[in-house]
Amino acid sequence: MTTFSTLSPAASAPEATPVTSPAPRPRQQRRVAKPPSVLLSKAGVTALLALATLYTLLPLTWLLLSSTKSREDLFGTNGFALGEEIHLVDNLGHLFTADGGVYLRWVMNTVLYAGVGALLAAVFSVAAGYAFDKLAFPGKERLFSLVLLGVMVPGTAMAIPLYLLAAKAGLVNTFWGVFVPGLVFPFGVYLARVFSASYVPDEVLEAARMDGAGEFRAFCRVAFPMLAPGFVTIFLFQFTQIWNSFFLPLVMLSDQDLYPVNLGLYVWYSSALSQGHPEDYLLAVVGSLVAVAPLIAVFLMLQRFWKSGMTAGAVK
Amino acid sequence: MLRRTTAALAGSVTALALLATACGGTDQGASATAEKTGKVTFWSFVKGSDQVAAAFNRSHPGIEVTFETVPSGQEYYSKLTNAVKAGTAPDVAVVEYPQLPEFAAQGKIEDLSGSLGPLVKDRFPEAARQLVDLGGKTWAVPRDAAPLTLMYRKDFFTQHKIDVPTTWDAYRNMTERVKKADPAARGGVLYTDNPGLLSALAWQAGGQWFSTEKDAWKVTVDDGPSKKVAEFWGELARKDLVRSLGSLDPFWTSVQKGQTVAYVCASWCAGAQQATVPDQKGKWAVAPVPTWDGKPASAMYGGSSFVIPKGADNSGAAAEFIKWITTDPEGMKAWVSSGTSSLFPADPQLVPVTKAAFPTDYFGGQDVYAVGAASYDAIRQGWQWGPVMGTTNTAIVDQLPKVADGSVTLSGVLSTAQQATVAQMKQRGLQISAP
Repeated sequence: MTTFSTLSPAASAPEATPVTSPAPRPRQQRRVAKPPSVLLSKAGVTALLALATLYTLLPLTWLLLSSTKSREDLFGTNGFALGEEIHLVDNLGHLFTADGGVYLRWVMNTVLYAGVGALLAAVFSVAAGYAFDKLAFPGKERLFSLVLLGVMVPGTAMAIPLYLLAAKAGLVNTFWGVFVPGLVFPFGVYLARVFSASYVPDEVLEAARMDGAGEFRAFCRVAFPMLAPGFVTIFLFQFTQIWNSFFLPLVMLSDQDLYPVNLGLYVWYSSALSQGHPEDYLLAVVGSLVAVAPLIAVFLMLQRFWKSGMTAGAVK
Repeated sequence: MLRRTTAALAGSVTALALLATACGGTDQGASATAEKTGKVTFWSFVKGSDQVAAAFNRSHPGIEVTFETVPSGQEYYSKLTNAVKAGTAPDVAVVEYPQLPEFAAQGKIEDLSGSLGPLVKDRFPEAARQLVDLGGKTWAVPRDAAPLTLMYRKDFFTQHKIDVPTTWDAYRNMTERVKKADPAARGGVLYTDNPGLLSALAWQAGGQWFSTEKDAWKVTVDDGPSKKVAEFWGELARKDLVRSLGSLDPFWTSVQKGQTVAYVCASWCAGAQQATVPDQKGKWAVAPVPTWDGKPASAMYGGSSFVIPKGADNSGAAAEFIKWITTDPEGMKAWVSSGTSSLFPADPQLVPVTKAAFPTDYFGGQDVYAVGAASYDAIRQGWQWGPVMGTTNTAIVDQLPKVADGSVTLSGVLSTAQQATVAQMKQRGLQISAP
């Protein structure tokens, strides 16, 4: 806590950079003409941000416009203009009926893999992180370094070993082969420990214990609500991670009915034009639009938690 | 020619036998006596696979085939490799010809000599056999051959009085005249993301990227004929006489917009063209691929075969299934039942089946299968794919987009691919003889 108090004035003080620059310093006292270097840097930052915005929005615009086109227009008209006719409803109808409605099935699978998986992963992570922070047990730090080791290993590198293990356990080409690995989230445990240290004062727990709450009750009723923003942050992290995970489902699954939506879309896309069934290409485009919609919704809804959670560990 | 082929074959016998035994041995003939009933899982990304599996199940009550869609491309091959490693491989899987030697050399697929070898010998011409018979053993059964053809906009050519080229010199003139007639139009494409067409054109010119001698591989990706092809296409691309484009959406966009009025492709492209650009019906025609000396010569761009991966549970029934989908008229009929595929069967006896299923009104009633058949007969013999095609292809594709702006030459790209291939083969411990 001492570091916090000494750090904060420095952080909130006016930027230190103007001091070193040759520009005149009193920029806050008097609202005289701003030095060109400040203007320039502002323009530079704005331009960079504008570029980043374009970079993010242009593909989405293309996706949105392309989804409304017929197949002829998709190839025949400019990607950033509307086609001659609006086919969005037809395309959507086609998307949800193609291959016996398999698309909806993929979306449901993804909701299960990413939604339920990330929810459970977040529960486990918060519980584990809390335990690492507040409880004393033998081998704690050693176990925690194991968790940190897990943070270092990228998920993609684990796909093949996981697959070989799943083959031994008979989980290949089953729902569990993709679901179970999603429950493990070492980075979430690490985050949760940091969150727990900054959000849950030991005094509160002591008070809870004094009042007769057991360890489990103290965690569920007292600590967990205090950790809610952290919980949401961890959930979102893991949700996007499972949502985006591609290689693991690719090797693990071969039954189309178990595919998550990204793998299904890839199957449509990868063979559509090379194998000469372009209708799948349009399906992949429309399907991608439908697939990003829930992700955007989740983020908009949980944004405020996410924001508060992002910086929570920063001043520890 | 004949002597060269036999010598190459004899050489590949020892080389591949050595490789195969080094990687876990072969159980020859074991599958021939196996049961021909039960369940078969079948991995494929080829269009029509679902119909084929369903039709087979209807006509073969004793065998139940479960079809599973897989993505195409390099991802699929790593998936298949890992499945074999983990012992969860399917009973039947599709493998394209270029990838076959790698799977055979690494011992990832069953030797089919005992079960399906006689069938392959009996039904397929040398042009297809040379791709599945490696080291004197049969590793796969071909489904389709993909002989080269030239697709062109008949209306455009007639309107501007441009002749259909029969030689590559004439092809160059054609591209110049196309550009003159319509500055937005081009008479060809150099794909920036797909090495398949380039290697097919090298094969057609008499190039030979890989061969086996005694017990070593000979790698000559940058041999004379291949360099000739590379210089020709590199120049066309640099002079902006052909487009330099990705083979998927960018290519089809250019076709749809009338900016690509001719392109070299293979038999299956007729169906793709018809399905992807339906509103240009009646405007397109198919011609034989141009050659260097005016005499018929061809090669394959694409095509697929079926294998039984190592560790398959039911090789007996799998062999029965493969036999049906590659050489039975009913099986071939199921492949093309959607009426949109112009696949050219590798078994020439089945051409009437596919021909009957492909409506030709898109091509103004032209007999596209006759063009395909002539091209199939003209395929050069002696071509062999290499044991690390993933590396070879990646080395080429990495450089292809830079050809058009002149920062690399296309023959330079082949030299890079040559070095990358040799380096990767050495790393895998494969014997290489000096070229």
